[in-house]
Amino acid sequence: MENLKEKISQADSLEKLEKIRIELFGKKGVLAAEFAKLKDIPASEKKAFAEGLNESKTILQSAFDSRYQILKAKEIESILQGEAIDVSLYGTLSDKGALHPVMETMDKIIDYFVALNFAVENGPMIEDDFHNFEALNLPKYHPARDMQDTFYFQDGKLLRTHTSPVQIRTMMSAKPPIRIIAPGTVFRRDYDLTHTPMFHQVEGLVVEEKGKVSFANLKSILIDFLRYMFGDVEVRFRPSFFPFTEPSAEVDISCIFCEGKGCRVCSGTGWLEVLGCGIVDPNVFKAVGYEGVSGYAFGLGVERFAMLIHKIPDLRSLFEGDIRLLEQFR
Amino acid sequence: MKVTRSWLSEFIDLSDVTNDELYAIFNAIGLEVENIQTIEIPPKVIIGKILSCQKHPDADKLNVCQIDVGTGVKQIVCGAANVTSAEYVAVAMIGAVLPGNLEIKYAKLRGIESEGMVCSSKELGLPSLGDGIMILDESIGELEIGKEFGSYEKIADTLIELELTANRGDCLSVYGVARDLSVALDRPLKPFHYKQEEKMKLGIAREAEIHTEGAIQANLKYKLATVEAKRNSFIVQLRLALTEIEPQSTIESLLAYTTHATGVILRAYDSMSFRNNADKIVVSVSAAHKGIVEIYGNGVSLSTVGVNQNKSCKANDETKQILLEASYINPDILVEAVFSASLIKDELYYQTSRGSNPDLSFGLLYLAFLMDQYCQIDCYEGSLDVEAERERTILRVNTDEICQIIGQKIETNKMISVLRHLGFEINVLGDHLITAEVPFFRHDIVNIQDVAEEIVRIIGINNIQPKPLTFIEKNRLNSASDRYKIKKIFRNRAISAGFYENVSYVFSEKAILEQYGFATTDEKLELSNPIVEELNTLRSTILVNLLHAVKRNVSYTKKSIPLFEIGAVFGSKREQKEVFSFVFSGNEAGENVSNNGKPKMIDFASFVQKIGAVIGAFELVPCTYKNGLLHPYQSADILVNKKRCGYLSKLHPSVQESYGVADTFFAELEFDALLPEHKNAKPISKFQGVYKDLSVVIDKHISYYEVSKVINSLALPLLRESYPVDVYEDEKLGDKKSLTIRFFIQSMEKTLHESDIEAVISQIMQALKKEYKAELR
Repeated sequence: MENLKEKISQADSLEKLEKIRIELFGKKGVLAAEFAKLKDIPASEKKAFAEGLNESKTILQSAFDSRYQILKAKEIESILQGEAIDVSLYGTLSDKGALHPVMETMDKIIDYFVALNFAVENGPMIEDDFHNFEALNLPKYHPARDMQDTFYFQDGKLLRTHTSPVQIRTMMSAKPPIRIIAPGTVFRRDYDLTHTPMFHQVEGLVVEEKGKVSFANLKSILIDFLRYMFGDVEVRFRPSFFPFTEPSAEVDISCIFCEGKGCRVCSGTGWLEVLGCGIVDPNVFKAVGYEGVSGYAFGLGVERFAMLIHKIPDLRSLFEGDIRLLEQFR
Repeated sequence: MKVTRSWLSEFIDLSDVTNDELYAIFNAIGLEVENIQTIEIPPKVIIGKILSCQKHPDADKLNVCQIDVGTGVKQIVCGAANVTSAEYVAVAMIGAVLPGNLEIKYAKLRGIESEGMVCSSKELGLPSLGDGIMILDESIGELEIGKEFGSYEKIADTLIELELTANRGDCLSVYGVARDLSVALDRPLKPFHYKQEEKMKLGIAREAEIHTEGAIQANLKYKLATVEAKRNSFIVQLRLALTEIEPQSTIESLLAYTTHATGVILRAYDSMSFRNNADKIVVSVSAAHKGIVEIYGNGVSLSTVGVNQNKSCKANDETKQILLEASYINPDILVEAVFSASLIKDELYYQTSRGSNPDLSFGLLYLAFLMDQYCQIDCYEGSLDVEAERERTILRVNTDEICQIIGQKIETNKMISVLRHLGFEINVLGDHLITAEVPFFRHDIVNIQDVAEEIVRIIGINNIQPKPLTFIEKNRLNSASDRYKIKKIFRNRAISAGFYENVSYVFSEKAILEQYGFATTDEKLELSNPIVEELNTLRSTILVNLLHAVKRNVSYTKKSIPLFEIGAVFGSKREQKEVFSFVFSGNEAGENVSNNGKPKMIDFASFVQKIGAVIGAFELVPCTYKNGLLHPYQSADILVNKKRCGYLSKLHPSVQESYGVADTFFAELEFDALLPEHKNAKPISKFQGVYKDLSVVIDKHISYYEVSKVINSLALPLLRESYPVDVYEDEKLGDKKSLTIRFFIQSMEKTLHESDIEAVISQIMQALKKEYKAELR
């Protein structure tokens, strides 16, 4: 008995243990042989013999089980060790690309306004004078047209200089209340370090019945929006002029580079100009045939937002498909 | 618009206002400060009086001056030619440190001792005032010998550059800016009093007369003056230089300075241009078209009010008798007229088109003040005047409506006070009803919202409390919103498949598009003012832009260049559509341990797989598109939902070579065709299906597409799926190839018998045999 136990505990592999198992517990094994003796044992001793035999079987079984556990664990451990690799070698395997920072910024802007129940609207890039200028209170001789150097076509059409014509198109095809943003590509005939002939804007327009929409409402949404985009910044409104809004304002945030102390990016002023806004000019409503309404509008340049948010120094690099820039946004 | 603090102070008391406060106020009232800069004069630069000035014995160009500097007389050698006519000058004393770290020390110049330096404007960090030293006069204040030059507030001034919006012509003068400041600071303007001394005692009418023809829409005021001597005071020179105005003559300086100060448009004529045979000055004013007012002398058009002046009639420094003209024309009338008449415009047009000062007397009086002090210019008594009939703009203003626009309660009295201060004439009609007569210099104010803007400006936009807008619940998920969401999903899939998002100009170079056989915009519809040659037309494909981006990235030593762009392209009639374009150049994956740093080049199969990861299921069929980028034997049309939506291809080797890039694949798809379609579920069979392979030997040139067409045409109800799994070619097969197709066969009704399966396979085999002489392998 002790001898058998010893044998089990000395098995050093699962194969040897298996052999022992057959030797002990198999049909022709030691235990089976012992149990076979039972029939020759006198009835009076049978019980005691059987009990002793069962006890031995239990002891042997448990010795076997525990040895099995140990050897199995050893085997798994050796399999595991055999499969060991230097996992740190594989940290560079991702081949994911990246969204363009301007488009990603545009997404974030759109998401904000969609969450506030704005509809998204689109319009054509090739526009006519009426939608791009006239209807926006910019008659042909208006000095403010100087602000927008325009690409023209031979037939008098033009590439839209802002996303504002989408306001006009939307108002001419729908009735108030209007609550839209118009993200899109716009064009100005300007090409230097800080200007590209194409860039992106997001325009917003809200129109409700007269007396409903106020400058205070405009301030409220823009302050919240700018903090959503730029974090905990100060927001400042400065009176300004746009032909299509009145009163108009330009909106600044406290400089996110120097926290308003004054640096190179904010030209020492501590403020960064980020968008323009205002109460829709009555002449715009007149041009689209609206009466008895009030509204606000705002517009922003997406490239400027993206450059500020991601601290991208060079505007033109955004249009060159430069993977050295793009891969930083993986 | 550039102003200086001391110049503003001529019109408003700013003694208790710091520069920081000025900066904040200007921004708050909508006059954006572009730049604010204080002028600092180093210490130990003092006022000196030249007592004598003698030629240096040993140097032609040097003068030896004895200068009273208050504490004594110093001998200073000076190289400037104009020192001989100077009396008061700025002297840098020993120990003064001038800009550029130039320290003034004792010096001996060709044997003569010199104890200081007589300064030019540039040496003190001021703008250039021409050659030589500064010759000072009392225009900067009382000249006290020995007094620090930097203690004069007109010298150690603050230069403020304002970025004015197009509507604020009223602020295109120092006076106009001061006027707006006076409202913001709630203090009155300093009155400008000057009693012109009319030394001539001769009435202008004895020499000159004015005739008008037509309805004149301008205000004109003429004065006649004889010129004995004239010069510019120091402050006029300095301020013109600071504000970067560069007049050509003394008389022009006086006019430009006055216009900049007062906003009144001034011109000076040689009176000879108007003298007729009877030696009488006759000014003829004619209004030929609406808004165009022309001035004639002797039948010759000499100027157009607010627009230009004929050079030949301009008074210059030799002119003995000048006719001074102050004018005003409403810019709203002027710009429209000038636009349709396309006239040549001079430098004053910027101001007249935005609104000059209609107070002509003020301008002429300010000019007289300058002339009387520093020149001998004598004016005739009186003036010749033309007054246009002007409609007053009177607005009925409901103050509640203003409160609604602003979104905040503002007391009517407060509004009235702001508006009165801004120059409006107010009549109170009721509790919340007033009329406001707009001052002439604010032509930009035409409606109640303009009035609201004025209120907002002055009470301070930052004092308006933000208030969220309440609105009625409404679903605003329209098709554009949906499209945007779908696009975002596609873009995110593309980056998961390894592509970088590209954004490029929707322009292209016409010659390149033509070279590769892409559509180009019709000549009649072409861009008329492209910005550069490379962007001279609208793009009809994004692929050229992507190829240029690939080329750039190659030059940045990038080895794997996967890019995509969703953007607009235009047809020859300028039809705009959106396409989804991809390019993949070079290594198929990054270099890493799993590919031993040698990833394989992108090939057809892996490119197709990547595109599939983005756009989902599609079919490839032989390419029907034609352009110079396509590889004739590795290009295909892409069918999505059985619709042709674009193509993919290997880049043609010759283009690849000319761009100097590695193996490159590209695809361009119409975005509309990728929009997800509505789908209904099909029933799924409950019965077991089986996979069965069939290998057939067919001619090499027969594509799988052709084989599949034959199989599909059979429309076998049990055939659920079929796809190619292997192609095998070897010498033994010769012109043939072995194609293995896997079929999935399943019935909706029952478990299949071997015979059912055999029937399907044999039908396929027979059809292929018949069509393509296929043999079982």
